[in-house]
Amino acid sequence: MVSITINQQTLEVEPGSTVLQAAERLGIDIPTFCYLKRLPALASCRMCLVEVEGQRRLQPSCATAVTDGMVVRTNTPLIDETRSSMLDMLLANHPLDCPICDKGGECELQDLVMAYGPRESRFRDAKRVFHSRDIRLSPVIIMNVNRCIQCQRCVRMCEEVVGAVALGTVEKGMDTAVTGFEGSLASCDQCGNCVEVCPVGALMSFPYRYKARPWDLAETDTVCPHCGTGCQLTVGTRKGEFMRVRSKADHGVNRETLCVRGRFGLDFVMSRERIKRPMVRRDDALVPVSWEEAGDYLQGRLSAVEGKAAGGLASPRLPNEVLYQFQKVMRTVFRTNNIDSASRWSTPFDTLGPLVAAFYTRAPLEEVIGNDCVLVVGGNVTDENPVTEYLLRDGARRRRTGLLMLSARPSRLDADARVVVRVAPGGEAASIAAVVAALVAAAGQALPANMRAGIDGRATHPDSDEPGRLATALLEGGSVTVLVSADLLRPPLARATLQQLHNLLQVLRALGKGLAVQFLFDRANQLGAWDMGVLPAALPGLRAVADDTARTTLERAWGAQIPSEPGADFDAMLELCDTGQMGALYIAASDPVMSYPDREFVQRALRAADLLIVQDAFLTDTAGLADVVLPAASYGEESGTFTNNEGRIQKVCKFREPTFAARGNLAIFDFVAGLRNPSLRSSVQSEIFDEIARLVPAYAGLTLTGLGSEGAFTRASLVPPGGAFFTPPPASSTATDRLMLMTGNCLFHNGYLSEHSEILNTVADDPYVEMGAWDAVQLGLQEGDQVVVRSAQGELTAQLKVNKHFPKGLVFVPENYRALRLNALMRRGEYPCPVDVQKAQAVFEIAAVAAAGTGPENLR
Amino acid sequence: MFKPVLLMNVDVPDGHLLATYLAGGGYQALAKALHEHTPDEIIDLVKQSNLRGRGGAGFPTGMKWSFVPTRADKPKYLCCNADEGEPGTFKDRIIMERDPHQLLEGLAISGYAIGAETAYVYIRGEYALAIRRLEQAIAEAHAKGYLGPRILGSDFNFVVHIHCGAGAYICGEETAMLDSLEGKRAQPRLKPPFPAVEGLYASPTVINNVETLACVPHIIARGPDWFRGIGPDKSPGPKLYCMSGQVRKPGLYELPMGIPLRELVQECAGGPLPGRKIKAVIPGGVSAPLIPASGLDVAMDFDSLAAAGSMLGSAGVIVIDDSACMVKVATRIIEFFHHESCGKCTPCREGLNWVVKVLRRVEAGQGGAGDLEQLEALCKGIFGNTFCALGDGAAMGLRAALTHFEHEFVAHIEARRCPFH
Amino acid sequence: MNMREKIEAAAARYPDQRSAIMPALLIAQKEYGHLPGPVLEEVADILDVERIWVYELATFYTLFHTEPVGMFHLQLCDNLSCMLRGSEDLLSHLEAVLGINRGDTTPDGLFTLSTVECLGACEMAPVMQLGDDYHGDLDIARIDALLDGLRAVTAQATGADFAASAPPGA
Ligand SMILES: Cc1cc2nc3c(=O)[nH]c(=O)nc-3n(C[C@H](O)[C@H](O)[C@H](O)COP(=O)(O)O)c2cc1C
Ligand code: SF4
Ligand code: FES
Repeated sequence: MVSITINQQTLEVEPGSTVLQAAERLGIDIPTFCYLKRLPALASCRMCLVEVEGQRRLQPSCATAVTDGMVVRTNTPLIDETRSSMLDMLLANHPLDCPICDKGGECELQDLVMAYGPRESRFRDAKRVFHSRDIRLSPVIIMNVNRCIQCQRCVRMCEEVVGAVALGTVEKGMDTAVTGFEGSLASCDQCGNCVEVCPVGALMSFPYRYKARPWDLAETDTVCPHCGTGCQLTVGTRKGEFMRVRSKADHGVNRETLCVRGRFGLDFVMSRERIKRPMVRRDDALVPVSWEEAGDYLQGRLSAVEGKAAGGLASPRLPNEVLYQFQKVMRTVFRTNNIDSASRWSTPFDTLGPLVAAFYTRAPLEEVIGNDCVLVVGGNVTDENPVTEYLLRDGARRRRTGLLMLSARPSRLDADARVVVRVAPGGEAASIAAVVAALVAAAGQALPANMRAGIDGRATHPDSDEPGRLATALLEGGSVTVLVSADLLRPPLARATLQQLHNLLQVLRALGKGLAVQFLFDRANQLGAWDMGVLPAALPGLRAVADDTARTTLERAWGAQIPSEPGADFDAMLELCDTGQMGALYIAASDPVMSYPDREFVQRALRAADLLIVQDAFLTDTAGLADVVLPAASYGEESGTFTNNEGRIQKVCKFREPTFAARGNLAIFDFVAGLRNPSLRSSVQSEIFDEIARLVPAYAGLTLTGLGSEGAFTRASLVPPGGAFFTPPPASSTATDRLMLMTGNCLFHNGYLSEHSEILNTVADDPYVEMGAWDAVQLGLQEGDQVVVRSAQGELTAQLKVNKHFPKGLVFVPENYRALRLNALMRRGEYPCPVDVQKAQAVFEIAAVAAAGTGPENLR
Repeated sequence: MFKPVLLMNVDVPDGHLLATYLAGGGYQALAKALHEHTPDEIIDLVKQSNLRGRGGAGFPTGMKWSFVPTRADKPKYLCCNADEGEPGTFKDRIIMERDPHQLLEGLAISGYAIGAETAYVYIRGEYALAIRRLEQAIAEAHAKGYLGPRILGSDFNFVVHIHCGAGAYICGEETAMLDSLEGKRAQPRLKPPFPAVEGLYASPTVINNVETLACVPHIIARGPDWFRGIGPDKSPGPKLYCMSGQVRKPGLYELPMGIPLRELVQECAGGPLPGRKIKAVIPGGVSAPLIPASGLDVAMDFDSLAAAGSMLGSAGVIVIDDSACMVKVATRIIEFFHHESCGKCTPCREGLNWVVKVLRRVEAGQGGAGDLEQLEALCKGIFGNTFCALGDGAAMGLRAALTHFEHEFVAHIEARRCPFH
Repeated sequence: MNMREKIEAAAARYPDQRSAIMPALLIAQKEYGHLPGPVLEEVADILDVERIWVYELATFYTLFHTEPVGMFHLQLCDNLSCMLRGSEDLLSHLEAVLGINRGDTTPDGLFTLSTVECLGACEMAPVMQLGDDYHGDLDIARIDALLDGLRAVTAQATGADFAASAPPGA
């Protein structure tokens, strides 16, 4: 520790701390502009100059490291004068058009001038004017260069944090201007982090333009509903109308950042596709009715299926309390364990459960990515969990974490990685097996004998030495973090992949590595959904349904019986429907018709259920098949909690009332359950939270009021791994000569929710198909071509993007575009899906010829 | 009479060719360095010579070299600052055009001393002839084994690359030069880390001026004592003086460090133009505050000029006679800095813009009461508060003009016109 | 060598492709005369670096031109040493003779007139750069002779009578 005295107050700080940090700890305000906490100091604005004893000149406190015994003053007349002088210079050419500036009222320049600035300016020459009209850099970002004070926060944010390198600085000196290539940000991430960090009204959000004054906004702190990173954000509403989203600067895993979906993708709450009133099926059509009528109708239909099987599917985007209550209603009122929360495919809990129990690390991401190595397996973290990616980039660049990537889909983060293993579509399990084999071979006697015997050390990667290099990197580090994309958990191959992961984690643990494991979920509350027991084989707390003690505890608490047999996962539920055995199927906020493979089969199965209840905020394709549609509150219209990928539980707060006749999800459960059991008490979110804290071990002791601005961490004690080792998958589980279709999220969307956001739809690319340059050349295809992707089941047409980092054979179509009906191409149980890709020109060519033949000239 | 050292080959026909250089004893210092000395010994010799950087700051060269860590986990780089943008300076151009091998030999010895196998010569893009000559010299030296692998049979490998600037004075600032070399907008970097520890590509890097490097072979060949014997002990050696402005014989002169400014102006450069009197002299490029005619007895070395409130800088001596308007001179100087400000820091970017506006007004006879105080206040806001020395140079220059020639500024304001028109 | 090869050869001098942006822009400018957007994109693609980086450099450095310049680019130094030796009069003369202001190009595209900061040749002040060459110790007579020479060269090369297209006052 080193000691520093600032304005007569003395403090001990870590060596390497800056004077600015020390002052902050003493509560001494030092004004700054160019300083961005998460990045190394730039020290260019010169606002933070302070007097350091023994130095001839004033020193920038943001960039001056404390030395032992340093004496600093921040409150002398010279400092006052210097601050005022810097502000005077900044104001000289500033347009001072505050009345028409969106930043007015929350402008750092305004605030600092108020606090430290000159009371009058002596500047009396003409001001510099770059342009008279604001520049629309992108659909969501608009720029007024005249107001820019050159702090460079935006550019550094874009390049160093987001990694997009879309913004830059052109010209020099007084002509310096921030802009995109040739004045456009058309190809940027549109994350708006540049807007967020702009201290003045230079970079502005276009959708929020001229909408409100900050003091007119009601601000609600909440958590993003899109991916599992769980970013905190603040929603601004005016008179109940959604206005904008800002990040919270100092709080949450994300601090001042968000991705495009969080910052610009919350307007879905105002979607026109909201369900306005309850609906029931009459004469094969859905007709709007009152809640009472719906109740009567439902009561009748429910009693008709009383003795038959029931099942429930709920979205992993619902809050913990809603999910908890859902499984409780299913188990106690519908008396079934047929409960699931998966999208696309069901997760094999027999392999997943032990892995989570033995390895899942509930700890801040910030902490786990500080490990010597971070291995990211599967998916594309840049697109699926952008803010997690920012932190990973920071880890690699500034904390010297060795980033290791193993995936079929390339990501922007690969550029910062130490080793990249590009696997063939569906080849993750084989690649992980190869890494394990290389580890075992290299570690040799360092591993226990049973492990050496149990793991087949011969698995090698067919055509690359990258797995070997990855293993070497893992061996070098003392601590390892493994981040697993949710994409690996969902295909039929998930079991094999999870098994190989399990092997890998056991070997790493046996080698004495400090080990951390987290999943990278693409749905905001997937971990919460599991924790809450929205699973066929697990009760709340991820305890097996067959676990008598666990079951009895819950039965006692709930005063009801719980079936002791594991239930059917969603796939099995569909099977039940299809074979005429399903009585009531209750779907909350999920759209399996869109997300489950084999669209036709799903439709047929859902139609075959005796009674399909859909409770949702949006009119989905699934709702279109329902017998009863119950309009639910959307995100933002009811409070609750989410548990993010880190295991951090955070408050999700209501910022507007449910629209039209929509009701809160809990109230609807009460409504439905009450039809069967009128004696049930109505559910209150805070009471459910307390019940969770009582009954779910990882949530023990938590209180709703105790969830401060950083949320709280759930805590699960890890159980030792079972010790079973799995054999590697057969060498070639996928045919290598076929094109293989994979899916996942693209940057601008998340699942099917984000397509309800008008703003996201304006910034997102049109639906597209992505493939590698080699495959494109083979097929005679070019960037921008309309192509047809055809599988044994169906086809779709979209524009082609060529990505030179794609492995051979991979065809990627984002899952997010409802119009593509991607799941119509997929067959149950088969993934990646073999496809053919062709130019879609034929139709157009015929049309063109026809047009030429009937042109005006021919007519004449 | 002082016998030129650095300019020895400058007036020799074909002085830029290897044969000429060899005929004058060229590359013998390199051979001596490689065969008779360890790198550490070279650093010691340069330290003993008291050679101080000729780029402007006068930092002791040997000491700078000794900051380079000896660890070998990263490559080390040598950068030659041949950006020569300081107005009034042209010495490096002439060395490169007429005696490029002198620089190459200096580079090779310096690279050997600090353990660098790669050098980049950052040369301003306007210097087309110098670039051609240097390229040619590099090719010749390569062909004859004075550069390249295993130089002169030693273990030392060394390559020299040319990197052309593209018109930005700030690239002369050493850390901005590094950013420029890395393909970024040239803006100064925060120090620490110092380039010697973390410079080009975050590797240990030494940056030296052309003239500094050109001194090195002579120090090795003739010994540090010889070098220290020329001029003042703390600031010794042969020195190139660039004489320009309103004198009879502008040109490049080599004389000992510490020669009186008056002698330089009156004798070497032939004194003022016919019928003119000297009003002021800028001794070290426009970054150096001007010295009024009364101060010409100062010695031209780092310490004496600093004591006199100016600096030796690049030794670009600009002579201003009584026909010149000092408001205009000051305006032109500040316009230069304003134009060349990289834009990184507030006081330089915004402050100089403001200063230029006021100065132009005053010069045009549209100044008003309070303008001089405003200039003073701006100088105060800029000086000492800028990120790099560019802004400081501008503020100091303006201050000197305001101090010594206040009457001319006042005359402009009072008469509402320029008295020199 | 074609442009791509030249750029790739230049890039080989550095451990990092980004360093080669400046040399690449110089090469591209030699090739195309100036550096419009598509050329910047081409450079970025050849070097596989971010486009915005290329754009940043093309605008930061004064020797790069994103707009077209005339066939002859007259770059007159007007910094202190040249100013003290009469560069202002030369500028006025050039403006009058060419019929354009500094910074502009003659309508026939032949001449662009610029003033530049110190060229590092103050011993021959006032000085002007034209192409790769410096012309020093200038006075009005020498400037006129130089312009005449340039016109003659172009007239010869193109067969056109450029003198006739010279603006009045020439
Ligand atoms: C604004 C500015 C411009 C500079 N320009 C040059 C220059 O053109 N040439 C040069 O050699 N040094 C220049 N310097 C000095 C360099 O930063 C550096 O001190 C020098 O190259 C070190 O070499 P030396 O130790 O051999 O002098 C400049 C410094 C500043 C602050
Ligand atoms: S003083 Fe500031 S703006 Fe000026 S050149 Fe230096 S860093 Fe750039
Ligand atoms: S915050 Fe320290 S200089 Fe800008």
